[in-house]
Amino acid sequence: MALENMFICIGCPLGCEVTLTINNKGDVVGFANNKCKEGEKYVLEEYRNPVRTLTATVLTQSSSQPLLAVRTNKPILKTILVQSMTILARTRVKAPVKMGDVIVPNLLDTGADVVASSNLSSWTKNEGVVF
Amino acid sequence: MKLQDVDVAVIGAGPAGMAAAIKAKEAGAENVVIMERAEELGGLLHQCVHNGFGLLYFNQDLTGPEYGHRFIEKVMDTGVKPLLETMVVRLTEDRQIGAVNIREGYITFKPKSIVLAMGCRERSRGALNIPGTRPAGVLTAGTAQRYVNVEGFVPGKKIVILGSGDIGMIMARRLTLEGAHVEAVVEILPYIGGLIRNEVQCLHDFEIPLFLEHTVTRIHGEERVRAVTIAKVDGRRNPIAGTERTIACDTLLLSVGLIPENELSVMAGIRLDPVTGGALVDEMRQTTVSGVFAGGNVLHVHDLVDNVSWESELAGESAAKFALEEKPQKQGEISIKAGTNIRYIVPQTISGQRDVTLYMRVTEPEEMVRIKVGDIMTKGIRAVKPSEMLKIELPAETLKKLKDGTKEIIVDCEKRGGK
Ligand code: SF4
Repeated sequence: MALENMFICIGCPLGCEVTLTINNKGDVVGFANNKCKEGEKYVLEEYRNPVRTLTATVLTQSSSQPLLAVRTNKPILKTILVQSMTILARTRVKAPVKMGDVIVPNLLDTGADVVASSNLSSWTKNEGVVF
Repeated sequence: MKLQDVDVAVIGAGPAGMAAAIKAKEAGAENVVIMERAEELGGLLHQCVHNGFGLLYFNQDLTGPEYGHRFIEKVMDTGVKPLLETMVVRLTEDRQIGAVNIREGYITFKPKSIVLAMGCRERSRGALNIPGTRPAGVLTAGTAQRYVNVEGFVPGKKIVILGSGDIGMIMARRLTLEGAHVEAVVEILPYIGGLIRNEVQCLHDFEIPLFLEHTVTRIHGEERVRAVTIAKVDGRRNPIAGTERTIACDTLLLSVGLIPENELSVMAGIRLDPVTGGALVDEMRQTTVSGVFAGGNVLHVHDLVDNVSWESELAGESAAKFALEEKPQKQGEISIKAGTNIRYIVPQTISGQRDVTLYMRVTEPEEMVRIKVGDIMTKGIRAVKPSEMLKIELPAETLKKLKDGTKEIIVDCEKRGGK
């Protein structure tokens, strides 16, 4: 029994709907409907290891800036994105935070850290017109 | 620095304004100011916490705030002078700027040159004519983005999104991750309005239903949105009777297009392109008013910020040259015209003397096409879509092939082989 999986390749605006056929041992048997080789590379990666960068926000204890933007410093499996959010929902940060600071180390044992992607309390302050 | 001594004034401190101001300074303009109505530099990048910025410009996958931060630091390092919480309210044909802020009240001055970088705003419900009541819970995708990513609250629990532009799809994912349920994304066209990577990574990843060739025909609810009715549309985009279905929801997000903000340009008598909604410009990004340049989404709506930065650098560099030479440059003499399946092209005129990059969009999606630039150049492209901007490089060398006295170049996007 062969199993067919469908993927939309994002390699170019064509967006081919590529079919990947897998045999019952889980080996790749073939590709169909990809208009170029790029599609095979993309689909294999999406089949074996579909990863995404998670971007979100966490609550701060600052009244002027209630949220800090965060991201994973490397892509994580897309199947754990929702679970990761429950960890971020429990996370609170205190100023000062600098872009790149680790907020949650080794998120769900993925080896990826959640890091700050904005600063907390270092906004570009208005210096006024000093003409 | 005195206001009287300003060489280049940039209006707007989003990605376009920052890139223009930095480049103007680097190109030798001494006194460069960047005028911004918000209290910080960066524009909308602060609320775009998703990644996908800078893949071309920095060769890195950055979030909006990360991309913005690099330019903010550079604005500070190069000595560009930010005028924050300062709103430009007046612009005249002889480059007089009038602005208000809380410290000086009304200020007015005349810089040697100006870069328009006001960006764009979202089309709202009023522009759509959806019948029904006027309940709370109808907002643009960008407003929802600000609520969720900056202010810290989620605007609803059950959400329908009208329009499949990039911000709409990105908000579908963001709201899902924050625990809301996105019931549907509804798109009137037979194809999505945003980038393919967003369809896959924002909608498919979370199994969010996408209804192509559908639109919202009615909004229900008195105090708050209770439901929306959607219907399939025909080839002329009119709803087909009998195809209606009602989806219970408490929030309707609109992601139905962006409009360049050109009130100031119109005030200054700058001529606009009816298709882009932005100024008519030459290859240096000079508008029809001498010494006033424009770049980024105020000129035409881009899909990638990287191109906004590049285009605005060109506007900033040109503005610096104009300020230094203090002599009016001529608008290009040759018109660039949109032909078969081309919706628009920027710049609209060129001189034919320098390298030019044509930024353009097609009208209809098509596969295996050939872009023909008059009879001087052709380029094959595998697939084109209205949502993905095309860039065609035209080197000065190639432009030499133009016959003397050429007044117009027509650009066509033709299907390859046959026809
Ligand atoms: S398979 Fe090739 S042609 Fe098809 S979408 Fe991917 S990159 Fe484009």
